[in-house]
Amino acid sequence: MTVRRIELHERIMARNNELAAAVRARLATHGVTAINLMSSPGSGKTTLLERTLAELGEALDIAVVTGDCQTQNDADRLAAHTRRLVQAIVTGGICHLDALQVSDALDHLDLAQTRLLIIENVGNLICPSAWDLGEQTRVLLFSVTEGEDKPVKYPRMFESANWVVFTKTDLLPYVPFDTERAVQHCLRVNPAVRFLFVSAMTDGGLDEWFSFIRREVAPVAPV
Amino acid sequence: MHELSLAMEIGRLAEAKLGASVAQCVAVGVEVGRRSGVEPSALEFCLESVLSTPPWTGARPVLISADDDRFLLTWVEVEDDDSPPD
Repeated sequence: MTVRRIELHERIMARNNELAAAVRARLATHGVTAINLMSSPGSGKTTLLERTLAELGEALDIAVVTGDCQTQNDADRLAAHTRRLVQAIVTGGICHLDALQVSDALDHLDLAQTRLLIIENVGNLICPSAWDLGEQTRVLLFSVTEGEDKPVKYPRMFESANWVVFTKTDLLPYVPFDTERAVQHCLRVNPAVRFLFVSAMTDGGLDEWFSFIRREVAPVAPV
Repeated sequence: MHELSLAMEIGRLAEAKLGASVAQCVAVGVEVGRRSGVEPSALEFCLESVLSTPPWTGARPVLISADDDRFLLTWVEVEDDDSPPD
Protein backbone atom coordinates (compact mmCIF):
# COMPACT_ATOMS: atom_id res chain seq x y z
CA MET A 1 0.00 0.00 0.00
CA THR A 2 1.24 3.52 -0.76
CA VAL A 3 -0.29 6.80 0.32
CA ARG A 4 -0.87 9.35 -2.43
CA ARG A 5 -1.53 13.01 -1.63
CA ILE A 6 -4.00 14.88 -3.82
CA GLU A 7 -3.63 18.66 -3.66
CA LEU A 8 -6.98 20.48 -3.70
CA HIS A 9 -6.73 24.00 -2.17
CA GLU A 10 -10.51 24.43 -2.33
CA ARG A 11 -12.28 27.21 -0.43
CA ILE A 12 -14.57 25.44 2.02
CA MET A 13 -17.27 28.08 1.76
CA ALA A 14 -17.20 27.98 -2.06
CA ARG A 15 -20.32 25.83 -2.42
CA ASN A 16 -22.36 28.07 -0.14
CA ASN A 17 -21.06 31.17 -1.90
CA GLU A 18 -22.06 29.78 -5.30
CA LEU A 19 -25.54 29.05 -4.00
CA ALA A 20 -25.73 32.52 -2.47
CA ALA A 21 -24.80 34.05 -5.82
CA ALA A 22 -27.61 32.04 -7.41
CA VAL A 23 -30.07 33.26 -4.75
CA ARG A 24 -28.92 36.85 -5.37
CA ALA A 25 -29.40 36.46 -9.11
CA ARG A 26 -32.82 34.88 -8.67
CA LEU A 27 -33.96 37.72 -6.41
CA ALA A 28 -32.58 40.32 -8.81
CA THR A 29 -34.53 38.77 -11.65
CA HIS A 30 -37.72 39.46 -9.69
CA GLY A 31 -36.58 42.89 -8.44
CA VAL A 32 -36.54 41.67 -4.84
CA THR A 33 -34.19 43.17 -2.25
CA ALA A 34 -33.07 40.91 0.60
CA ILE A 35 -32.05 41.89 4.12
CA ASN A 36 -30.23 39.44 6.39
CA LEU A 37 -31.34 40.31 9.93
CA MET A 38 -28.90 39.03 12.52
CA SER A 39 -28.31 39.37 16.27
CA SER A 40 -27.65 37.44 19.43
CA PRO A 41 -30.66 35.57 20.83
CA GLY A 42 -33.22 37.83 22.50
CA SER A 43 -32.16 41.11 20.89
CA GLY A 44 -35.61 41.77 19.49
CA LYS A 45 -35.50 40.62 15.87
CA THR A 46 -38.97 39.12 15.91
CA THR A 47 -40.55 42.03 17.80
CA LEU A 48 -39.06 44.57 15.40
CA LEU A 49 -40.25 42.45 12.47
CA GLU A 50 -43.75 42.29 13.94
CA ARG A 51 -43.87 46.08 13.99
CA THR A 52 -42.37 46.28 10.50
CA LEU A 53 -44.87 43.86 9.00
CA ALA A 54 -47.78 45.62 10.66
CA GLU A 55 -46.63 49.00 9.30
CA LEU A 56 -45.16 48.13 5.91
CA GLY A 57 -45.84 44.48 5.13
CA GLU A 58 -48.60 45.09 2.62
CA ALA A 59 -47.37 48.39 1.21
CA LEU A 60 -43.90 47.07 0.43
CA ASP A 61 -44.85 43.46 -0.36
CA ILE A 62 -42.58 42.09 2.35
CA ALA A 63 -41.96 38.35 2.61
CA VAL A 64 -40.15 36.81 5.56
CA VAL A 65 -37.99 33.75 6.04
CA THR A 66 -37.27 32.89 9.67
CA GLY A 67 -34.54 30.62 10.96
CA ASP A 68 -34.64 28.91 14.32
CA CYS A 69 -32.71 26.03 15.83
CA GLN A 70 -35.95 24.47 17.04
CA THR A 71 -39.66 25.42 16.79
CA GLN A 72 -41.29 27.74 14.31
CA ASN A 73 -42.50 30.08 17.06
CA ASP A 74 -41.06 33.19 15.38
CA ALA A 75 -42.76 32.40 12.09
CA ASP A 76 -46.07 31.84 13.89
CA ARG A 77 -45.73 35.17 15.72
CA LEU A 78 -44.97 37.02 12.48
CA ALA A 79 -47.75 35.33 10.55
CA ALA A 80 -50.23 36.96 12.92
CA HIS A 81 -49.18 40.36 11.57
CA THR A 82 -49.38 39.76 7.86
CA ARG A 83 -51.40 37.98 5.22
CA ARG A 84 -48.17 37.46 3.34
CA LEU A 85 -46.38 34.13 3.58
CA VAL A 86 -43.86 33.67 6.37
CA GLN A 87 -41.59 30.76 5.60
CA ALA A 88 -40.00 28.97 8.58
CA ILE A 89 -36.68 27.15 8.45
CA VAL A 90 -35.99 24.93 11.45
CA THR A 91 -32.29 24.19 11.35
CA GLY A 92 -32.42 21.21 13.73
CA GLY A 93 -29.70 22.53 16.01
CA ILE A 94 -27.48 24.19 13.41
CA CYS A 95 -26.62 27.71 14.55
CA HIS A 96 -27.07 29.68 11.31
CA LEU A 97 -28.91 29.69 8.01
CA ASP A 98 -27.10 28.78 4.82
CA ALA A 99 -27.73 29.67 1.19
CA LEU A 100 -29.19 26.26 0.34
CA GLN A 101 -31.87 26.65 3.01
CA VAL A 102 -32.75 30.12 1.73
CA SER A 103 -32.80 28.86 -1.85
CA ASP A 104 -35.23 26.10 -0.83
CA ALA A 105 -37.37 28.63 1.08
CA LEU A 106 -37.64 30.82 -2.03
CA ASP A 107 -39.41 27.93 -3.76
CA HIS A 108 -42.32 28.49 -1.36
CA LEU A 109 -42.54 32.27 -1.81
CA ASP A 110 -44.31 34.14 -4.58
CA LEU A 111 -41.37 36.26 -5.70
CA ALA A 112 -43.46 37.96 -8.36
CA GLN A 113 -45.55 39.43 -5.53
CA THR A 114 -42.56 40.29 -3.33
CA ARG A 115 -40.42 43.44 -3.27
CA LEU A 116 -38.55 42.95 -0.02
CA LEU A 117 -37.41 39.71 1.57
CA ILE A 118 -36.34 39.85 5.19
CA ILE A 119 -34.38 36.82 6.39
CA GLU A 120 -34.46 36.51 10.18
CA ASN A 121 -31.31 34.54 10.87
CA VAL A 122 -30.73 32.25 13.85
CA GLY A 123 -29.85 34.22 16.97
CA ASN A 124 -26.09 33.95 17.21
CA LEU A 125 -23.21 36.46 17.08
CA ILE A 126 -20.62 34.11 15.59
CA CYS A 127 -21.65 31.75 12.83
CA PRO A 128 -24.12 33.69 10.64
CA SER A 129 -21.39 36.16 9.67
CA ALA A 130 -19.58 33.44 7.71
CA TRP A 131 -22.56 32.38 5.60
CA ASP A 132 -23.60 34.49 2.63
CA LEU A 133 -27.33 34.03 2.06
CA GLY A 134 -27.63 36.08 -1.13
CA GLU A 135 -28.71 39.22 0.70
CA GLN A 136 -27.99 42.80 -0.39
CA THR A 137 -27.83 44.24 3.13
CA ARG A 138 -26.82 42.88 6.51
CA VAL A 139 -28.55 44.43 9.50
CA LEU A 140 -27.27 43.56 12.96
CA LEU A 141 -29.43 44.24 16.00
CA PHE A 142 -27.55 45.23 19.15
CA SER A 143 -29.69 45.32 22.27
CA VAL A 144 -28.85 47.81 25.02
CA THR A 145 -29.20 44.92 27.46
CA GLU A 146 -25.99 43.46 26.02
CA GLY A 147 -22.48 44.62 26.86
CA GLU A 148 -21.02 47.60 24.97
CA ASP A 149 -17.97 45.52 24.12
CA LYS A 150 -19.85 42.99 21.97
CA PRO A 151 -18.33 44.46 18.76
CA VAL A 152 -14.79 43.75 19.90
CA LYS A 153 -15.75 40.36 21.32
CA TYR A 154 -17.47 39.30 18.10
CA PRO A 155 -15.68 41.39 15.46
CA ARG A 156 -16.51 39.29 12.41
CA MET A 157 -20.22 39.80 12.91
CA PHE A 158 -19.85 43.57 13.29
CA GLU A 159 -17.34 43.76 10.42
CA SER A 160 -19.84 42.12 8.11
CA ALA A 161 -22.81 44.36 9.00
CA ASN A 162 -23.92 47.29 6.86
CA TRP A 163 -26.15 48.64 9.64
CA VAL A 164 -26.20 48.24 13.40
CA VAL A 165 -29.59 48.84 14.97
CA PHE A 166 -29.58 49.48 18.69
CA THR A 167 -32.76 47.94 20.12
CA LYS A 168 -34.68 48.19 23.39
CA THR A 169 -33.56 51.80 23.77
CA ASP A 170 -36.50 52.41 26.12
CA LEU A 171 -34.46 50.46 28.69
CA LEU A 172 -31.51 52.85 28.57
CA PRO A 173 -32.49 54.64 31.81
CA TYR A 174 -32.46 51.32 33.64
CA VAL A 175 -29.36 49.55 32.33
CA PRO A 176 -25.66 50.48 32.55
CA PHE A 177 -25.21 50.72 28.77
CA ASP A 178 -22.90 53.42 27.42
CA THR A 179 -24.25 54.04 23.91
CA GLU A 180 -21.36 56.28 22.84
CA ARG A 181 -18.86 53.63 23.90
CA ALA A 182 -20.81 50.95 22.04
CA VAL A 183 -20.84 53.08 18.88
CA GLN A 184 -17.09 53.61 19.16
CA HIS A 185 -16.54 49.86 19.52
CA CYS A 186 -18.63 49.28 16.39
CA LEU A 187 -16.67 51.87 14.41
CA ARG A 188 -13.40 50.40 15.63
CA VAL A 189 -14.14 47.09 13.89
CA ASN A 190 -16.17 48.54 10.99
CA PRO A 191 -15.62 52.24 10.21
CA ALA A 192 -18.23 52.16 7.42
CA VAL A 193 -21.13 50.83 9.50
CA ARG A 194 -24.22 53.01 9.96
CA PHE A 195 -26.55 53.19 12.96
CA LEU A 196 -30.20 53.30 13.93
CA PHE A 197 -31.70 53.42 17.43
CA VAL A 198 -35.11 51.92 18.06
CA SER A 199 -37.57 50.79 20.69
CA ALA A 200 -40.24 48.50 19.32
CA MET A 201 -42.14 48.93 22.61
CA THR A 202 -42.35 52.72 22.77
CA ASP A 203 -42.00 53.46 19.01
CA GLY A 204 -38.78 55.40 19.57
CA GLY A 205 -36.80 55.55 16.33
CA LEU A 206 -39.28 53.42 14.42
CA ASP A 207 -39.96 56.20 11.88
CA GLU A 208 -36.26 56.16 11.00
CA TRP A 209 -36.29 52.36 10.82
CA PHE A 210 -39.32 52.37 8.54
CA SER A 211 -37.65 55.01 6.33
CA PHE A 212 -34.60 52.78 6.10
CA ILE A 213 -36.77 49.82 5.08
CA ARG A 214 -38.53 51.93 2.42
CA ARG A 215 -35.16 53.00 1.00
CA GLU A 216 -34.04 49.38 0.80
CA VAL A 217 -36.92 48.45 -1.47
CA ALA A 218 -36.15 48.97 -5.11
CA PRO A 219 -38.63 51.28 -6.83
CA VAL A 220 -41.20 49.50 -8.95
CA ALA A 221 -40.14 49.63 -12.58
CA PRO A 222 -42.54 51.65 -14.73
CA VAL A 223 -44.82 49.46 -16.83
CA MET B 1 -22.50 24.17 16.47
CA HIS B 2 -20.68 26.24 13.86
CA GLU B 3 -17.76 23.86 13.50
CA LEU B 4 -20.02 20.85 13.05
CA SER B 5 -21.67 22.36 10.00
CA LEU B 6 -18.25 23.39 8.68
CA ALA B 7 -16.97 19.84 9.23
CA MET B 8 -19.97 18.48 7.34
CA GLU B 9 -19.26 20.92 4.51
CA ILE B 10 -15.63 19.75 4.41
CA GLY B 11 -16.85 16.14 4.28
CA ARG B 12 -19.22 16.94 1.40
CA LEU B 13 -16.55 18.83 -0.53
CA ALA B 14 -13.89 16.15 -0.07
CA GLU B 15 -16.34 13.37 -0.90
CA ALA B 16 -17.23 15.12 -4.14
CA LYS B 17 -13.55 15.35 -5.05
CA LEU B 18 -12.73 11.76 -4.10
CA GLY B 19 -15.68 9.98 -5.62
CA ALA B 20 -15.34 6.22 -5.24
CA SER B 21 -11.95 6.66 -3.53
CA VAL B 22 -13.53 8.12 -0.41
CA ALA B 23 -13.28 4.78 1.44
CA GLN B 24 -9.52 4.71 0.76
CA CYS B 25 -8.95 8.21 2.14
CA VAL B 26 -6.66 8.13 5.16
CA ALA B 27 -6.17 11.85 5.89
CA VAL B 28 -7.78 15.20 5.13
CA GLY B 29 -5.70 18.39 5.35
CA VAL B 30 -7.47 21.64 6.20
CA GLU B 31 -5.86 25.08 6.48
CA VAL B 32 -7.46 27.19 9.21
CA GLY B 33 -6.46 30.85 9.40
CA ARG B 34 -6.25 32.62 12.74
CA ARG B 35 -8.81 35.16 11.48
CA SER B 36 -11.11 32.63 9.79
CA GLY B 37 -13.62 32.59 12.66
CA VAL B 38 -13.10 28.87 13.09
CA GLU B 39 -12.04 27.27 16.37
CA PRO B 40 -9.46 24.61 15.35
CA SER B 41 -9.92 22.24 18.29
CA ALA B 42 -13.71 22.23 17.88
CA LEU B 43 -13.35 21.71 14.13
CA GLU B 44 -10.94 18.81 14.65
CA PHE B 45 -13.35 17.18 17.11
CA CYS B 46 -16.23 17.52 14.63
CA LEU B 47 -14.14 16.38 11.66
CA GLU B 48 -13.14 13.21 13.50
CA SER B 49 -16.83 12.44 13.86
CA VAL B 50 -17.70 13.23 10.23
CA LEU B 51 -14.73 11.27 8.85
CA SER B 52 -15.65 8.18 10.82
CA THR B 53 -19.18 8.08 9.42
CA PRO B 54 -19.83 6.16 6.16
CA PRO B 55 -18.81 6.48 3.40
CA TRP B 56 -15.75 7.65 5.33
CA THR B 57 -13.71 4.96 7.05
CA GLY B 58 -11.84 6.92 9.70
CA ALA B 59 -9.66 9.34 7.76
CA ARG B 60 -7.48 11.47 10.04
CA PRO B 61 -8.12 15.22 10.10
CA VAL B 62 -4.93 17.29 9.84
CA LEU B 63 -5.38 20.96 10.70
CA ILE B 64 -2.74 23.34 9.39
CA SER B 65 -2.65 26.77 11.02
CA ALA B 66 -2.21 30.00 9.05
CA ASP B 67 -1.92 33.67 10.04
CA ASP B 68 -4.61 35.04 7.71
CA ASP B 69 -8.32 34.32 7.25
CA ARG B 70 -7.97 31.35 4.93
CA PHE B 71 -10.16 28.30 5.36
CA LEU B 72 -9.24 25.69 2.76
CA LEU B 73 -9.58 22.03 2.05
CA THR B 74 -5.91 21.75 1.14
CA TRP B 75 -5.28 18.10 0.38
CA VAL B 76 -6.50 14.56 0.86
CA GLU B 77 -4.38 11.44 1.17
CA VAL B 78 -5.55 8.19 -0.38
CA GLU B 79 -4.15 4.73 0.20
CA ASP B 80 -3.48 2.99 -3.10
CA ASP B 81 -3.45 -0.78 -3.42
CA ASP B 82 -0.05 -1.66 -4.92
CA SER B 83 -0.57 -5.39 -4.97
CA PRO B 84 -0.26 -6.87 -8.46
CA PRO B 85 -3.46 -8.04 -10.09
CA ASP B 86 -4.18 -11.76 -9.81
